[in-house]
Amino acid sequence: MPEMGIEEDVFETPEKPEKDEPTLNLENKSQKVIMQVENLSKTYFQGKIPVHALRCACITVRKGELLAIMGPSGSGKSTLLALIGTLEKATDGNIILDGTDLTSVPEKLLPRVRREKIGFIFQHYNLIPTLSALENVELSMRFSRVPKKEREERAKALLEELGLGDRLSHKPSELSGGEQQRVSIARALANKPAVILADEPTGEVDSKTRDSIVRVFKELSEKGQTILVVTHDPEVAKECSRVLRIKDGTIKDY
Amino acid sequence: MFDLIIRNIMNRKVRSALTVCGIALGIFAVIVMGAMSENFHQTFERSMSVTSDKIRVFSESGVFGGGLTEDKVSDVLRVAGVKDAYGLLMTTFDEDKMGMTGKQILGVPPEKSSVALYPVDLKAGRFLNPGDSYSVVVGSNIQREYKLQIGSKFEIHDKYFTVAGILDYTGSIFDNAVIIPLETAQDLYDVGNSVSYIFAVPDERIDAEVLSKRIELSVKGTSTLSPGELEVQARQSFMIFSVITISSGLLAAIIGGLCVMNTMLMSVAERTREFGILKAIGAETRDILLLTLGEASFMGLFGGILGILVGSIAVYIMNAWLANTRIVLFLITPRLLVIAMLFALLIGALSGLYPAYRASKMSPMEALKHA
Repeated sequence: MPEMGIEEDVFETPEKPEKDEPTLNLENKSQKVIMQVENLSKTYFQGKIPVHALRCACITVRKGELLAIMGPSGSGKSTLLALIGTLEKATDGNIILDGTDLTSVPEKLLPRVRREKIGFIFQHYNLIPTLSALENVELSMRFSRVPKKEREERAKALLEELGLGDRLSHKPSELSGGEQQRVSIARALANKPAVILADEPTGEVDSKTRDSIVRVFKELSEKGQTILVVTHDPEVAKECSRVLRIKDGTIKDY
Repeated sequence: MFDLIIRNIMNRKVRSALTVCGIALGIFAVIVMGAMSENFHQTFERSMSVTSDKIRVFSESGVFGGGLTEDKVSDVLRVAGVKDAYGLLMTTFDEDKMGMTGKQILGVPPEKSSVALYPVDLKAGRFLNPGDSYSVVVGSNIQREYKLQIGSKFEIHDKYFTVAGILDYTGSIFDNAVIIPLETAQDLYDVGNSVSYIFAVPDERIDAEVLSKRIELSVKGTSTLSPGELEVQARQSFMIFSVITISSGLLAAIIGGLCVMNTMLMSVAERTREFGILKAIGAETRDILLLTLGEASFMGLFGGILGILVGSIAVYIMNAWLANTRIVLFLITPRLLVIAMLFALLIGALSGLYPAYRASKMSPMEALKHA
């Protein structure tokens, strides 16, 4: 995991919990629990009407887990991912990721959290169309001010590992859906994040490509990479180490 | 980031090129108008430096009002503190062109020609001497235009004059001057013993401003223009001229700036999702600002370089074309180039500010939802 090096007061380790709350004891058991979500809620307002997208979600995720989040459309899966990914602010609750309470990180420090603790994989790949596969993977390292040579080497190694060694200079439009998704997996891995958040990563690919993506996730998980996958696909969920079900903003089966 | 900025510009070639052309057109106008102003400024400064030691005495009704005769010269000379005084007759050389070429006939008492023209020096020949009647001293532009040499015949108002002297180049009004004896000028233009104005040279011990007022009070029917007043008057005219020329150039450049703003706003709107991705993968606000502001500034830079290049070529061509008529209208100075370049950069950066602000303030989630 890269050194955060951000102000101590912001990224401080939470107070040591009581003995009967082992999941919060991150300092000593960081190898086991990487993320703790406590009573996380998100309420939107449509005009004056409150919409509870997520209600009091509590999740404990261990390092190296491949966790599937399932549920019908509009159930709150993506909201949960957006909150963990600090793309949205929670109405209530806490998210403790790799010893940092994300809900108390000041707005201006959130980009650094996203860079160094979180990797995103999107359904539509969301690669920058004007950049090559290699440059897309390099991009997040640029924002981390990783030296050019180092980031090139790391991006190349990741793409080669994901079987895209011969596609380094290809633009997204020159790659298949599966290849684009693998580029986005490499991009998510570039800064060695604490957790990868994948929002319907197999939603746009055929079953063969889906299986290869799931295989990559499993391999990464086995190597200790924590991955949260939002999916509708039971075949994907079946391959995950654990499945979390959400309905109407509430975690139903945990 | 530099490579990303350049790539973003290059990825929208036509739009970027049109925007750069917009800025270039504005900077072209700044260069052309500025060059005109710079030329005027240089002529003005040099003219001031070669005539700043003398008080001009006019008829009360002004320089074109007439009524000032040589008799007044002795009245001016009698005023305490006046070291020397002499009348001059000034008229346009090429009446058919309404004086637009700037060439002037200057009737000067021959014995005063060297002091009247001081500190302008001779490139060749001599100043006018007492007894000269159809001798002429010409400015450097006149000499070049008519290819004159010492001893050449030069036709003025249907009479032939012999070139006695050629003045050094000064960058002032004297470069376009044709200096002939005062009496000959008065005969030639049939104005009796009238003069356009009288040059009064102050004694070293007396303040020119004080003496100017003293002359006005002592010599009836005259008004004066001291060196200080002349400078103020000339500077005001220069300022007005500069404001008109420069502001028309600046206006064009501002329109170019609006071009950049429009392009950048379109670009930011089109790339909303891209900014969302960048933010999701950890781009800081300053990274987004740098990307968008950098693009706008680079377009300003390219537009500036292109505008300066095309403007300088245009000025060169126009000066070459006008060389035949001896009207020098444009002068490109290092100062003008620096101002034009800085202005192009400023316009680019300022125009990029608002689009950059919008891009940097986008919510990553909202931006990612953008189609």
